[in-house]
Amino acid sequence: MTLPALVVPTRSAHWGWDEHRYFGHKVFEELAGHESFMGLTALSVLGRRLSPECCAVLEDAANTLTMADPRIWPLKLTRVVASYGGTVAAAAAGLLVEEGAQIGPWACGRAAAVLVAMHAEIDGRSDDAGHVRDVVVHYLERHAFIWGFGTPFRPRDERLVAFARCMRAKGRDTLPHYRTMEAVARAVRELRRAEPNIVWALAATCLDMGLDVREIGPIATTLMQHMFFAAAVEGARQAPEILRELPEAYVSYVGREARTSPRKEIAG
Amino acid sequence: MQHHRDSSEGFRGPLEETAFPETLSARVVTPGMEPRIHGYDVEGDLALHYGATELLFLSLTGEIPRGDSATLLEVALAFFAPVSVAHASTHAAVLARLCGASTSTTIGTAAIGLGEQARVLLDEHEALLAWLEQPTAMFPESYRTNGADERASIERLLAALAHGGVAVPALRHGPTRSAALVCVLHAAGLTRREQMEAVIVVARLPAAIAEAFRETVANFRTYPTNLPLFRYEES
Repeated sequence: MTLPALVVPTRSAHWGWDEHRYFGHKVFEELAGHESFMGLTALSVLGRRLSPECCAVLEDAANTLTMADPRIWPLKLTRVVASYGGTVAAAAAGLLVEEGAQIGPWACGRAAAVLVAMHAEIDGRSDDAGHVRDVVVHYLERHAFIWGFGTPFRPRDERLVAFARCMRAKGRDTLPHYRTMEAVARAVRELRRAEPNIVWALAATCLDMGLDVREIGPIATTLMQHMFFAAAVEGARQAPEILRELPEAYVSYVGREARTSPRKEIAG
Repeated sequence: MQHHRDSSEGFRGPLEETAFPETLSARVVTPGMEPRIHGYDVEGDLALHYGATELLFLSLTGEIPRGDSATLLEVALAFFAPVSVAHASTHAAVLARLCGASTSTTIGTAAIGLGEQARVLLDEHEALLAWLEQPTAMFPESYRTNGADERASIERLLAALAHGGVAVPALRHGPTRSAALVCVLHAAGLTRREQMEAVIVVARLPAAIAEAFRETVANFRTYPTNLPLFRYEES
């Protein structure tokens, strides 16, 4: 018996005899020797190639996003898993928590969705502070929280400061979403005393590169994956016993008090 | 106790300047050689008087099951357990084994797949979960079944529950198999979504990893690589 083929279309890749295909490109002829790793990463997420200028913007983003202190929570999670000695399992565990998480790269996509809505309402009038303020007030009346704002443990996000410097140097700060991003940041600062973080600026930059909102969470995740490997590789090499099991004195039990089960009480 | 952590190397930043607790909080299991779960001595009490299903209930809810809860959970665990290789969760675990993954990462792959599967199942049953919290309105129509196979499965579920001397009133509405099992979990006292997701994964993990362990490492010739056929297209 021959079963009818169950078919799933794919645009991503095909394994040929002497040449492979990747999103419409010949791997050996068109990509090898011509495309950068960042370009290949962008192609993987977007299904289309980005210009070298846009890739350079993503390079700036990846570099300025590099805040890889192993105490930062998703990276600490990676370190904790890596204490058993496995590198990829640890990196995968760290990356696993990013999708949908309130902190980390996935927030970039959520911030982009907010920015797209505000950009449409501001409608090109980002220099009109009163109009921008009205748009932000209207948003804040309906939402307690704006994705892309908040700088825990410090007054401002130093990564945003550095990224903005890079964007100014590349002339990307005059692009439409970037200008909206800055205008909204000014209004939110005044209304909520909240500072934007790098997620807000990266969302604007990605939108100005023509990325769709749904593409921004995944691309931002790729821009941060190096930090998970930094944590996983060093963590697995060290595999410290004190992390595998914290000494007892460093764990405080705050749960239910000691008690006896009903069956043990009956059994005496 | 709050403490500043100093960096002896002289590097300073927000994490050196912020006060954090000195110890990690354990909220369920006491650390050490005489562990307790939610206050009950594991080795001198629970291990002697309770089974795995009751321990699962205790872990997730903080209380030893009372009344019919353990029986309901036991039946639900059995009905949730089989996830054949047709399902992506088990299929992924089989692929991990085929690729020569370690046992730990094969189990990890199965757990991720099963977690995703449970999430989707409960996403699809959000309206039912809301109804279970306030079952005053009509039973949501989309969770009723007309399929003969599903109805037969529900009959077997009812028989299993009756065998244990328990019943779930919501099952009289003629739910789908999945909806019925969600109703049973709720009746057992696992009313929070995260508790249900956890139970579904725990129930399914043994069979999923057992299926994976039956696969032969690097058995690429006899694995149906073109099922499904990913047909490459260029636009």
